[in-house]
Amino acid sequence: MKNKYMFGGFIIVVFLGIMIYLFTQSNIQYQDDFTKVMNTNKTVKATGTWVKEEGYDIDKENKQFIFYMKDENGNKMKVVYDGTMPNNFESASSVVVTGKYVNGYFHARDILTKCPSKYEGQEVQTSTM
Amino acid sequence: MIAKAYALFKKDLHSELRTRYAINSLAMFIIVAISIIMFAVGQERVSEALTGGLFWVVIFFTAMSGLSRAFVSEEERGTSLTLQLVAAPSTVFTGKLVFNIILVFTMNTVITLLYAALFESFVIKNFNLFLLSFVFGNIGLAVSSTIIAAIIAKAGAKGTLYPVLSFPILLPLIISSVQLTLSALDGTSIADSKYELAIVISYDVIMLTASYLLFDFIWKD
Repeated sequence: MKNKYMFGGFIIVVFLGIMIYLFTQSNIQYQDDFTKVMNTNKTVKATGTWVKEEGYDIDKENKQFIFYMKDENGNKMKVVYDGTMPNNFESASSVVVTGKYVNGYFHARDILTKCPSKYEGQEVQTSTM
Repeated sequence: MIAKAYALFKKDLHSELRTRYAINSLAMFIIVAISIIMFAVGQERVSEALTGGLFWVVIFFTAMSGLSRAFVSEEERGTSLTLQLVAAPSTVFTGKLVFNIILVFTMNTVITLLYAALFESFVIKNFNLFLLSFVFGNIGLAVSSTIIAAIIAKAGAKGTLYPVLSFPILLPLIISSVQLTLSALDGTSIADSKYELAIVISYDVIMLTASYLLFDFIWKD
């Protein structure tokens, strides 16, 4: 009788551990390598920078915002976002897009822009008296 | 034990077919909930992501409206003491569980068919993945709702207590199942959603083991 509870408890603990581990794995992951972004058909958060030379395009008919992004290794990728351009997009130092790579472009459902801080650190002045 | 559990299941099935209490409440809830969603949506095109979520909203609340009958009916008719004399706790639980599993599968098949017929964005692109998540999700839902029904059967405010108590227990299952339904609608491959599938399967294992261990105490008071 005692064994039954030991055994059952063991099963529960083991599977609970597996479940908690898997929960941390199954969330949307960040990816800063665009070749990997293009080869998976999972939803990812792709991080990179906006290619300024290519500019951006606002498709008013389909309400889409189209631009190009590149990663650290210079891999370029076309990004299509269903919505308007974020306010501080042009001054952003890096961009994170959440979505999936389909039919030759990255279909983003969310854009996050990271802006350079206004509050740069100043050198601390020391007084010599 | 299996013969006894089967007899118990048959008894439940007969009494259900006679009164049609659970079937009626499930069917009414499905029809009402889906019509309200249809009216609310109107001419708007619902995105896939939203349809997957709405699908599970209907499943969760439908389950909450009808599945507690398994044990509440015994308590209301005053037959639970007789049942305690006749059969061992695990036998009782097996019989009720089989009955609820069949109820959940029927209910969710109806909901899926209705969604496929009424929502244009509910197109299953990866049917195998949908089937896998459907089967394991349904088993998890049935097991949890049966054991919670046993817990609340003796309490006072059964109607309110049931969804309140079920929600935290069903939450991991619902989160993963919504994700899986979404992947199935998206056409994501099974290999890409193996983590969610494994979560649902381990949830089923945990709930089954815990239910059989704890049912003795719940049933005997």
